[in-house]
Amino acid sequence: MRAFALLLSLTLCASALAQEAAVPPTEALPTMKPATEGQVWGALIFATNDAAQLTGSKEKEPDHLQGLDARLAKVFPFKHFEILGQHQQDIFRQYESWVVPSRDLFLKIDSKGPADKGGVNIHLQVWREQQVLVKSDAILRPGSPLFIGGPKWRNGRLIFVLSLDERKAR
Amino acid sequence: MSAPAATDPVEVTDIDLVKRSQAGDTRAFDALVTKYRGRIYAMTYHLIQNETEAWDLAQEAFIKAWRALPGFKLDASFYTWLYRIAHNVTYDWLRKKRIQGDGEFDDERTEHRAAAGAETTPKGDAAPDAALRNAELGARIQAAIAKLSAEHRQVIVLREVEGLAYEEIAALVPCSLGTVMSRLFYARKKLQEQLKDVYETTL
Amino acid sequence: MKPPSENHDLTRWLDGVMSDAERSAFEQHLAEDPALSREANALKSLRADLRTHLPAEMNVPYGDFFNSQIQVRLAQEESRRVSDSAHSPVAKLLHWLKKPWLALAGTAAATAVLTVALLRTPDADSYSRILSSYTPDIRVEARSFHDDAAQATVLVLDGLDEVPAERKVSGINVHRSENEPEIAATALFDAGGKRLLTISRDAVGNPQFTVTPPRG
Repeated sequence: MRAFALLLSLTLCASALAQEAAVPPTEALPTMKPATEGQVWGALIFATNDAAQLTGSKEKEPDHLQGLDARLAKVFPFKHFEILGQHQQDIFRQYESWVVPSRDLFLKIDSKGPADKGGVNIHLQVWREQQVLVKSDAILRPGSPLFIGGPKWRNGRLIFVLSLDERKAR
Repeated sequence: MSAPAATDPVEVTDIDLVKRSQAGDTRAFDALVTKYRGRIYAMTYHLIQNETEAWDLAQEAFIKAWRALPGFKLDASFYTWLYRIAHNVTYDWLRKKRIQGDGEFDDERTEHRAAAGAETTPKGDAAPDAALRNAELGARIQAAIAKLSAEHRQVIVLREVEGLAYEEIAALVPCSLGTVMSRLFYARKKLQEQLKDVYETTL
Repeated sequence: MKPPSENHDLTRWLDGVMSDAERSAFEQHLAEDPALSREANALKSLRADLRTHLPAEMNVPYGDFFNSQIQVRLAQEESRRVSDSAHSPVAKLLHWLKKPWLALAGTAAATAVLTVALLRTPDADSYSRILSSYTPDIRVEARSFHDDAAQATVLVLDGLDEVPAERKVSGINVHRSENEPEIAATALFDAGGKRLLTISRDAVGNPQFTVTPPRG
């Protein structure tokens, strides 16, 4: 009986802690979508000179980012760029937003409100497993993607691409 | 003077000095500073063409290296790791200066002071002997390098002074191999243009 | 106007990075093109002079002072490190910024690196911009810049540990997410509506991935 009570209180404590860590819920009804500042596309790219190292991923970039590998090649000196994963995500106004094209390298974005020229002020964290690699304050603007040069892997490099979608007319 | 090869016997003793520095031995670090300050200063100087700033940035490079020592893995060359830090510090400074309105991408004049110890002969004087002509050429080359944009100076210094391979330059900047070659070509042509009269008289 | 590839060939020939076969072919080409040959020889002379007059090592003015200044700053760092544990990162940053030379150079230590937000050219205002970066690991350095040719803003992280080769890095294709506040988690779904992952936080706030939703 004691053990059960202990277990119960531990579980309640754990969920209370989890609640503490969560962003407070909005006043909106649960069925309404939370307010957003726009949408981003995030992708994890594997860049390599050795075609034999490519993983055979079938992911392709969206239409508005055609020619992404040519643009990446202007910055990172590699021949092949492979999209390992991609994630289309709303940037929530009041919640944190996770962009997880892969469990190996992913982002957390907190909106700090709109910026001019259709942009969004954000606080950005690049995560790897349980570690934050970098925390940045940034302005994201449509048509101006962010290329994040990450760790080396298999003689190549992991690169994270983050792009703010053009805001559609509401 | 070309850069020493990575397999030089002197590299072996670095490990001992680096280990001691990592343990907090500032005198061991002082020995490393003495050993490499000439090369680091040369790199920062060639990149920014300003004696005082180059001195400050070379200092900064060593301070950053001291802070980053815990992360230095002893399997790599200490000098390679050190010059990368120095290069990044210097190039960041150069870019910020340029952003603050110091001139266009192509060869606008940037801050320049004559190379320490270089003779400057007034225009129109003949250069009667080889030594004097040599000094004049040195000064002219420095002046021509100063007129290059940051990006072009960068590849010239990394290739001609540091002796880096194209791939190493591409990884450091970072940029593509094609860009490395284009910038090298353009930089050399620009220098040639600046030094046209020198080469014409020697032909 | 020469094709750009010929400029690259000339550059590669000058730098001695051509294979024997390439070099013979190129030198043959030079022999047949006197103008190109003149250009090549002129560039060769220039290179030789550059190497002579751009020494890899230079005398540091006031060398002893150079060293002693570094020692002074190292001592300052150590004492500051000991006494500064109570200071906030912001106070530390303001202290650093008061030093003029530091205002120009970046730092690799665990202090925030502030870049002045660009307000000048109208073009710069339509780019994405990294305003400031902080790397908790002092071995990692963040640098950012805009690349006109790529039309992208770049954030480079140097000094990261390499991902082991045997690790199978792979991705997913996430179409949408749903917040589940009652269990403090976010669920990620693919285009077909299948739940791919759930992200929740552990007691210290680190993200945790689960494939089935955690029990609340």
